[in-house]
Amino acid sequence: MPRARKTGNIISGVGHAGLIGWILFGGWFTARPEPVEVREVAVISGAEFQAMLEAQQQPLEIAQDPQTAAPEATPDAPDVTVAPEEPTPLPPETVAEEPAEEPIEEPVPEVSEAAPEAPEPPAEVTVEDAPVADTPVERPAERVAPEPAPRPAPEVTQDPTPQEAVTPEETGETVREQQEAAQTPEATDRIITEAAEPPASSPTASMRPPARRPERPAPTRTVETPAPAPAQEETSEVDDAAVRAALEAAMSSSQVEVPTGPPMSSGEKDALRLAVQNCWNVDPGARWAQTTVTVAMSMTQDGKVVQNSLRMIASEGGDAASADAAFGAARRAILLCQKDGYPLPPEKYGQWQDIEMTFNPERMRIR
Amino acid sequence: MIFLRTASAFVCACALAVMIPVGAAQAQQGPLRITIEEGIIQPLPFAVPDFQVETGEAAQLAGELSRVIAADLEGTGVFREIPSSAFIAQYSDFNAAVQFADWKAVNAQALVTGAVSVSGTNVNVKFRVYDVVSGTTLGEGLQFSGTTEGWRRMAHKIADEVYSRITGEGGYFDSRVVYVSETGPKDERKKRLAVMDYDGANVRYLTDSSALVLAPRFSPSGDRVLYTSYESGFPRIYVLDVGSVQRRVLESADGTMSFAPRFSPSGQTVAYSLTQGGNTDIYTMDINSGQSVRLTNTPAIETAPSYSPDGSRIVFESDRSGTPQLYIMSAGGGEAQRISFGDGRYGTPVWSPRGDLVAFTKQNAGRFHIGVMRTDGSEERLLSASFLDEGPTWAPNGRVIMFTRETQGEGGASSLYSVDITGRVLRKVATPEGGSDPSWSPLQQ
Repeated sequence: MPRARKTGNIISGVGHAGLIGWILFGGWFTARPEPVEVREVAVISGAEFQAMLEAQQQPLEIAQDPQTAAPEATPDAPDVTVAPEEPTPLPPETVAEEPAEEPIEEPVPEVSEAAPEAPEPPAEVTVEDAPVADTPVERPAERVAPEPAPRPAPEVTQDPTPQEAVTPEETGETVREQQEAAQTPEATDRIITEAAEPPASSPTASMRPPARRPERPAPTRTVETPAPAPAQEETSEVDDAAVRAALEAAMSSSQVEVPTGPPMSSGEKDALRLAVQNCWNVDPGARWAQTTVTVAMSMTQDGKVVQNSLRMIASEGGDAASADAAFGAARRAILLCQKDGYPLPPEKYGQWQDIEMTFNPERMRIR
Repeated sequence: MIFLRTASAFVCACALAVMIPVGAAQAQQGPLRITIEEGIIQPLPFAVPDFQVETGEAAQLAGELSRVIAADLEGTGVFREIPSSAFIAQYSDFNAAVQFADWKAVNAQALVTGAVSVSGTNVNVKFRVYDVVSGTTLGEGLQFSGTTEGWRRMAHKIADEVYSRITGEGGYFDSRVVYVSETGPKDERKKRLAVMDYDGANVRYLTDSSALVLAPRFSPSGDRVLYTSYESGFPRIYVLDVGSVQRRVLESADGTMSFAPRFSPSGQTVAYSLTQGGNTDIYTMDINSGQSVRLTNTPAIETAPSYSPDGSRIVFESDRSGTPQLYIMSAGGGEAQRISFGDGRYGTPVWSPRGDLVAFTKQNAGRFHIGVMRTDGSEERLLSASFLDEGPTWAPNGRVIMFTRETQGEGGASSLYSVDITGRVLRKVATPEGGSDPSWSPLQQ
């Protein structure tokens, strides 16, 4: 036993001594953490990073100047300042088809003259006017791309949301969505509910009559029955006939149930306006460009023009031939762009069942 | 009792009659009203399939007629031809119903169909114009008869009719231009009068090149031409009959120089410039009696008179303010009103056939321009810019202006160009040689 204890004590003592020694001196052999602290990277990501970018971009832009300078040379600034006039002659010359014309034209000498004047600073300003917009746009993208690659992502994701919010001008698109989404059943439901709700806004209150009135014809029949009784028939029959005629005439117009809905919103009107004006081809040099015409038409419930309902109801300025030509252009615009039907809310059919469009080319006229 | 029942029924009926329309009116308060103020500007696409051949000998002519008509329309910049390779519909029968769907499918908005028959040297061409979008005809069908030699005129007349039916204004295709044809180097240039179709075809020379000729001007009826010639050593005005090529000089006093003539709308009076004693003023002359009247009397140089379409006023060029500017005065003379006030020098004014614009040449900042302004001087617009543009003349419908463009340098040459009043459509007019000083005729009868 003593031997066994002795050996056990020895082993225990050696083990403990080793353990104590490792605790005391073991740290000497452990690897120290690398001094490559990434703090700077994390800190730079903010303002410093942008500052670095800006610092890098500046020299690059300066490098562009000599290239973009040439077009600016349009320093025909004097000519260009005659702005209202110069722009018109330039495009036609480019339109000129025959090659022989181009060498004759002066724009070439203009560019050559510009070169000397195209120093550094003015370059950036005039670049806007020059049609060279392509080159400056492309280069910054290439340079920035390698380093701040992450940035584009958030910007891209933000784009769609603001577009949706641009309701004022693109109301037409939103309106289409409602129609194409097969909202017709809901729309009709809404009309009914709106008509049933008395406290709604003033226009909705006006929806009730057409839905209720058609039931009234019954009283007219009651009026008819008494007719055969009395002896003094002549005068009363005449009166009754007049009454019936008046009632029938009044009823006939109201018996067709037409969903009217609330008045057209400005967005819905704009959508229709935009749809038509995209096909209204105006010849600004023509005489009819000084003639305003008003066209009336009836619409089907799916937003199409009723066949043969298009007619000119008024014209102003110019002679009859000009009015006819202006009407022809308006008619083409309306028929060309209707395609599968204009983006009009079916639940408001009664509001746009009949349309009068005035085509006023005043703004399109050349000056 | 009966009376009471009838009365009560009538009252009820009236009440109903009144109430119901009110309700309807509230539901639908009249038509929806929309105002369109902006549109697009682009050529109107049209199709002209080769005309139907009613006799076997007319095949080539039918094709050529169609091509000239299409070229006329497309040359305006108002129309764009759809090539026949895009056609879906097969056109072969002038009297067959038009398949509008097929033409809509190729985006044609206007369609011109026709048929040609030839008998000996006689040609008969009939045509129709359709509005493809609405599926209707534009006007009635028409036909022209002529000779095989005059087929181009027939094509121009059809193009004029098509243009008129779509735009509501007259065309200018069946017209001619008299101009100065130029050959040879710049320092030894030969000039002679020539007349051609508006598109440069059928050139015919009216004079030889033995004497310098300048500024020919068509009469309102298109049968005579006024021009200035140095035949006598001094500039004198001549009247030339285009048909017979016979001419006579308009007499003026010895020691004077007369130039820059232009007919009045009646064709009976000529306004021109006369230099006498070193002073240049504007005169008019009765072309039959030769009696002249002095309209201006200032020490300034006054020239280039041009009548308004109604003949009541004259626009002219004068440097009475120190630089050449444009002025308007009564056709009988009297006080003139200046209408040009922009930078530079203005000259060679020409009153538009429409009466609303004046075309002019402007020199400014080392360049020449053809421009237009309203007759009160407002809304000045420059339509061209070049080393040297000058001498505008109006197309019969007041829609297009033809002018002279001269290139720079010793080898520079003059040629004719046309530009529409929007400034969008600028084209060089094809002439066999160089050309200058164009004057557009009225539409031919």
